[in-house]
Amino acid sequence: MTAVTLANAEADPGRRLKALASQEALLAIAVIGLAIAVGLYNPRFLAMRNLSDVLLGNAYIGVAAIGMSMVIISGNIDISVGALIGVLATISGTLAVNGAPIVLAWLAALVAGILVMALQGAIIAYLRIPAIVVTLGMLSILKGGLISVTGGKWITDLPDSFHLADIELFGVLPVPVFLMVLATILAALWMRYSASGRAIYAVGGNPEAARLCGISQPRTIVMVFALHGFFAGAAALLYATQLRVIQSTVPPNLELTIITAAVVGGVSILGGVGTVIGSTLAAILIAEIASALVFIDVSPYWIRAVQGVLILVTVIADILRRRRMARA
Amino acid sequence: MKLGLAAALLSATLLAGTASAADKRWDGADDLPVNPLACSAGEANAAPAAKPYEGGQPTNAPDKADKPISLVDVPKLIGIGYFNATSKGMQDAGKALGNVTVKTDGPTEAKIDEQIKFIDNYITSGVDGILFAANDPVAIAPVLKKALSKGIHVVGYDANSTPDAREWFVNQAEFNGIAKAMIDSMAKEAGEDKSFAIVTSTFTTPNQARWIAEMSAYAQKCHPKLKWLETVEAQEDNNLSFNQATTLINKYGDRLAGLFGMTSVATPASAEAVTKAKLCGKVAVVGLATPNAMKPYVDADCVKSVVLWNPVDLGYAATYVMRAVVDGKLKPGATSVDAGKLGKLNVVNGSEVLLGAPFIFTKQNVKDFDF
Amino acid sequence: MSEIPLPQGAKRVVPWWLLRHETMLAAILLIALIVLGVLNNRFLTLDNLLNQGRLTTEVGLIALPMTFIIITGGIDLSVGSIVGLCAILLGYSWKNFDFPLPLAICFSLLVGAAAGLLNGFVVTRVKVPPLIMTIATLALYRGLAEGISQARSVRGYPEWFYFIGQENLFGVPAQLWLLLIAIVISGIVLDRTTFGRTLYAIGNNETAARFSGLPVNRVKLTIYTLSGLMAGLSACVLVSRVTTTRSDMGTGYELDVIATVVLGGTSIFGGVGTIWGTVVGLAMIQLLKNGLALTGVKGDATIVVIGAVLILSTLVASSLQRRRDGV
Repeated sequence: MTAVTLANAEADPGRRLKALASQEALLAIAVIGLAIAVGLYNPRFLAMRNLSDVLLGNAYIGVAAIGMSMVIISGNIDISVGALIGVLATISGTLAVNGAPIVLAWLAALVAGILVMALQGAIIAYLRIPAIVVTLGMLSILKGGLISVTGGKWITDLPDSFHLADIELFGVLPVPVFLMVLATILAALWMRYSASGRAIYAVGGNPEAARLCGISQPRTIVMVFALHGFFAGAAALLYATQLRVIQSTVPPNLELTIITAAVVGGVSILGGVGTVIGSTLAAILIAEIASALVFIDVSPYWIRAVQGVLILVTVIADILRRRRMARA
Repeated sequence: MKLGLAAALLSATLLAGTASAADKRWDGADDLPVNPLACSAGEANAAPAAKPYEGGQPTNAPDKADKPISLVDVPKLIGIGYFNATSKGMQDAGKALGNVTVKTDGPTEAKIDEQIKFIDNYITSGVDGILFAANDPVAIAPVLKKALSKGIHVVGYDANSTPDAREWFVNQAEFNGIAKAMIDSMAKEAGEDKSFAIVTSTFTTPNQARWIAEMSAYAQKCHPKLKWLETVEAQEDNNLSFNQATTLINKYGDRLAGLFGMTSVATPASAEAVTKAKLCGKVAVVGLATPNAMKPYVDADCVKSVVLWNPVDLGYAATYVMRAVVDGKLKPGATSVDAGKLGKLNVVNGSEVLLGAPFIFTKQNVKDFDF
Repeated sequence: MSEIPLPQGAKRVVPWWLLRHETMLAAILLIALIVLGVLNNRFLTLDNLLNQGRLTTEVGLIALPMTFIIITGGIDLSVGSIVGLCAILLGYSWKNFDFPLPLAICFSLLVGAAAGLLNGFVVTRVKVPPLIMTIATLALYRGLAEGISQARSVRGYPEWFYFIGQENLFGVPAQLWLLLIAIVISGIVLDRTTFGRTLYAIGNNETAARFSGLPVNRVKLTIYTLSGLMAGLSACVLVSRVTTTRSDMGTGYELDVIATVVLGGTSIFGGVGTIWGTVVGLAMIQLLKNGLALTGVKGDATIVVIGAVLILSTLVASSLQRRRDGV
């Protein structure tokens, strides 16, 4: 009996690995497949220019989805991230316009993001209020606060050096794409191979077992939210530096897009399952679909419906695949 | 089986999508009757034929002639530069008049349901007058009529309601006047026989829908070789607008000679997309926007002209109209109203006060404005 | 038949301390009402309170089935989009299919129920977690509303239709009667029927409920369908109140409804909650917004207050709960 259990346990990680890798592989195939399919209809879709624009314009969603995936894997959720990104972008832009050193303006966004999110994490972990309540409340506070303070005015006259999204490393690699890929790889490795990274999975998958293993749930949750705040800050920088002007308001529906990216990427809301590679691929796929729908002349009145169907199909397919794996 | 069902649903939706793309109407235009202006220059503000007054009237409004009044301004939403500017205009007018206080309050998103609740609250708290810019002309009518029935004066600006729900509407510029200015600019900058695309906020925003419909009619009449390619929606999001504009540029390549931005968010984003694609001067960007947001692009010669009107003046005029209504100086049937530093404004279309012709911001004058 | 004597506390499914949460909330509400009433003399008038009831009906109708859903540990984020879809189809079927208006109303309710049914079906059969399924349908149903309507509004309904949204019946706004009846029925169902007990059982331990022979799937299917149906009803009331249809109607309702339910003491983890709590939560949010506005607080500051109230009151409630449980 012990031998059987041991054998099952050993087969389990392998199987789970296969299941996880499947969703990422499926997404990668979807990204490439879609590009080819649309390219057949309109070859301009496959132009280097267009593909890089799709990546550049949506990298901030991919970066934010990394943090969101971590939050969801830990068994929580965050719907305040859109409002936070708006606030961080405004803070960063305002500092830059008022003559602060550019690096300080960038750092401020990251630090503020970490602090606000860590605060939420602490309230969730130590005061034991459900994440959806805290983040829902924080969403209102951030949005109302931002509009109260700034009135939504445009931030213009930004110094040229502020535009992080325009920088091309070694003249070729745009920073947004570089950041998205680097952050994804680092985060994925950290979550797979480090103790605190695996703690996130443990806390999300089985909090009681995690506690018995000596993992402090409150501390892990605060850590997860702090990281999420860091990624939100990075996303805010990419978001703010894309245009020459910043509108100091909350980008509409951003949190929904980020959550969708994480969910389509295979992160399970039940906690404990999913990878950030999946969420980044999903963010790329969602951006690609948005562009593809314009290229293939879908009537603009139906674009939202088609996107909805695609999300639904992806989500159902993911669950079906998981169930088939579990039964096997 | 389930995947099969899903795939079937998907193909059905896509088919429905491409089928309705064969619609003759420009995407984003509404169905209301259009009235394109004459083609030659200078007729943009010819006085249209007089119509009888068809606005609503308050019942038993208290007589506050020459007495201090307190007004509330409920714009489509708060927290955007455009309505900050109209609000500023109202504050300026209040100061100039001396006996008017205006408070601006509204929803944080352009939702008609929220706007109705704001107006309702102010009806209960008993203001003397309501200034509004409607998110939906028909949906806002019941609550405005309720205000009128409680003796509160109602004057609209920027976005109209149905005429019987307000006493007067201060119109920044006629829809067909704006359409003419936009299309003429595009024809001049891009070329008479070129193709363009439109970036708008949503298809359900009434003003934008009217402008696109009028632009379509005017283009067909006076610039028949100008070709419309498509319209995309971009909500009010900077980055989304930028991504949509970039997608259009990539999709059409050389075929695209111009982009229209229909909102103060879409136009700077389109200009940025053109700048990033290094197509300044090759792709014309014409649109409605506030001068502050466009400064970098106008200075870089990427955008030649920005069409708007002065929203500060618009708010200013709206306040003066309200004061004149309360003082009994603006009655149904009047043909003009005194608007302080703006001089005399004409009454058109029965119950609309016209601010004037659209204002064009160019490299020369864009730095003189701060909104 | 011999009766097995039940232990004292087992008669009510609802733990007795929970009553404390709603009572606490009601007490806070009362204090807030008095304070706001003192600050502004137009706040506590019957006219204003009835009017607020009118304005809160649309969210209130949806909050009732949402309470059921959250008690079972689920959630439904697509309600706002279902409102939009039903509103559009109400107008569309009346105008384009030439349905007589009463038939169009029934059609719209049917579509709402069908939309909810789809949610419930996928949640119970395919076992997609409700959060994820309803995020997907949030986009899908809104997209359908936009596509079908082609951004056109339908207006010009016959006068009698506006009665529900705008007129009074025996001095009380017509739609408020609808809400009151719905509240009473929901309260009875949740508290006094097997169906209601099953909801708590599912929320506390779904596997155990299943093994106890409770019709878990059927119950879940019912509550999601009900959620869609109420969203459809809410849409009809909304269209009647504003006399037109728009594809963006109901945007953001899901968050308002969830805030209402959670504020009322229903736990997002499931197994706990009452209709009475939801009613108090509904009244609290609406009256706070109204009272603050009348006192002169502007819109942006008001939503900050509401956000803070949401967090603080949940904090108070859960500390109370923990003190009761001795944790």
